[in-house]
Amino acid sequence: MNGAVHIARSAVVAVALITSTAFAQETSALASRLDKPTYVAVTAIVDSARAAKLPTKPLLDKALEGSARGFDGPTIVSAVQQQWVRMGAAKQGLGASTSPDEIRAGLAALEAGVSVRDLARIRAASGKRSVTMSLAVLADLIARSVPVPTATDLVLQLTRAGIRDGDLSTFQRNVRADIDRGADPTAAATTRARGVIRGAEPKSSGLE
Amino acid sequence: MLDDHERRIDHIARELKREERVSSSFDVRVMRAVRDLPRHARLTLWSRLTTPRRITVTPLSWGLLAASLLVFAVAGTRAVLVEESTNPSKPITTALFAAPAKKQTPQAVQFVLVAPDAKKVAVVGDFNGWDPKHASYQAQHRGGGVWSVTASVPVGHHRYSFVVDDSLWVADPIAPRAVDNDFGVTNSTLVVQAAQE
Amino acid sequence: MEGSSDAVIVDRVLRGDVEAFRVLVERYRDRYARYALHMLGNREDAEEALQDAFTRAYRSLDRCEDPERFAAWLFRILVNRCRTLGARRGRRGRTFVVDDVALMAASVEHPSDRGAWREEIERALQQLRPEQREAFLLKYVEDLGYDEMSRLTGVGVSALKMRVMRACDRLRELLSEVHSA
Repeated sequence: MNGAVHIARSAVVAVALITSTAFAQETSALASRLDKPTYVAVTAIVDSARAAKLPTKPLLDKALEGSARGFDGPTIVSAVQQQWVRMGAAKQGLGASTSPDEIRAGLAALEAGVSVRDLARIRAASGKRSVTMSLAVLADLIARSVPVPTATDLVLQLTRAGIRDGDLSTFQRNVRADIDRGADPTAAATTRARGVIRGAEPKSSGLE
Repeated sequence: MLDDHERRIDHIARELKREERVSSSFDVRVMRAVRDLPRHARLTLWSRLTTPRRITVTPLSWGLLAASLLVFAVAGTRAVLVEESTNPSKPITTALFAAPAKKQTPQAVQFVLVAPDAKKVAVVGDFNGWDPKHASYQAQHRGGGVWSVTASVPVGHHRYSFVVDDSLWVADPIAPRAVDNDFGVTNSTLVVQAAQE
Repeated sequence: MEGSSDAVIVDRVLRGDVEAFRVLVERYRDRYARYALHMLGNREDAEEALQDAFTRAYRSLDRCEDPERFAAWLFRILVNRCRTLGARRGRRGRTFVVDDVALMAASVEHPSDRGAWREEIERALQQLRPEQREAFLLKYVEDLGYDEMSRLTGVGVSALKMRVMRACDRLRELLSEVHSA
């Protein structure tokens, strides 16, 4: 009994150590790339995110990117702050048990103009399945000039129809190829979506 | 042959022809100013009906934020997905998204950039701390101006870019764009899926 | 999108894709920073003129007659912006600030040598009359032909040639103590 408790406790300590080591590694990379005031400001935001149970990596990544690109401290801090705001919104729309990847994809969708409400609708439509791919495809459609409401609607339809990630990926590739060949983005997306959904429907029986 | 006068002028001109760079926040400032201007209206019917509006958020304070998040910052930007370029001899991807508990090993992803004048090309992204000096992400020149590197990228959603000659950041031309308003730059997006078992 | 021609990007912007304008900003800001810097003599004014030029270009993009020649059109706007800004600064009284960054960059290559030479040139440039400086930069730094310069500035070719000649004479005078490489 003592042994079991001891092992359990060690496991907890080990996990805590691992997590804090990983975190320490990331933040020490940051420490070496940012000046002190910026580092202090960024880690404060990161701490708040952790307390709010938001993933911290998107924030650290943002700071690392800013430093690699040569932006000054205030710009980096502002960027990390904006990222944090968006992350909160993504989590709000996608729910408490959202994975870090889903949040990242949610960030992309928010930046593209998708509303928090629509994030929630997509989450609702996908049930237990991950929304990472749906949201990524959504952000891509918008980037290719499919208007936000149209793109959102199409992705909702695809999600509701239970289209799998592999087929979503193919759908995205096909739409891109069509647009590259000169198709109107909305027409391409709508046509391809219709095709995918129809292909996924069970064949009706009893008809000629 | 230049005479002495012309040589002098040539000497002066050569000095003045040296490359100049604007400050790093220049693009951000310009785009901020541009976004405040009325959007151009040579629109298709669809765009006219559905132009996204911009909403800005000012965080109240970091402490209050977690409790009060409802609005979010957005601008007419593009964040996008690209499927990874795959090594033709070893196709990667497609699996159905596994349940979160499942272990997902990093996948090999090939990055390709055509840059005939480059002396050095590196891949940077959120999978390597945006570090242009990361040894595993230095591209090799394969001839004909084609640079490539196959590197390990964890499963999931990523942002990345190429850095040419340690100074020029270039989004992946074949990948859809992910415009970043925070820095006013353009990155590429990549979603790596777990390998099929 | 980055590999697309200027005309394609202009078209996108005119259709409402504001963000596409960034590609044009990225494409031309460094190239034209040089002219603005030498014309105005300091980085702050140069970036102000450049930023101004871009926003004006955006605003009147639908009046760009030949989107394939967007660069030349943008440059004309910049040349005008530099004239306006220069005139405004002239009224405030002549201040010439040697650009520290340029100096540092210059002196890294040949410490003590190049920095001083660069400073001399910039100082001499700023002592030219604006229209002579403009003509000199367009001809010898931007490598434009006289016809193109005439289209850009609205000034006749012979008047431009005269300005260039006077600029060269004056620069040689001002820089006569400096030995050529």
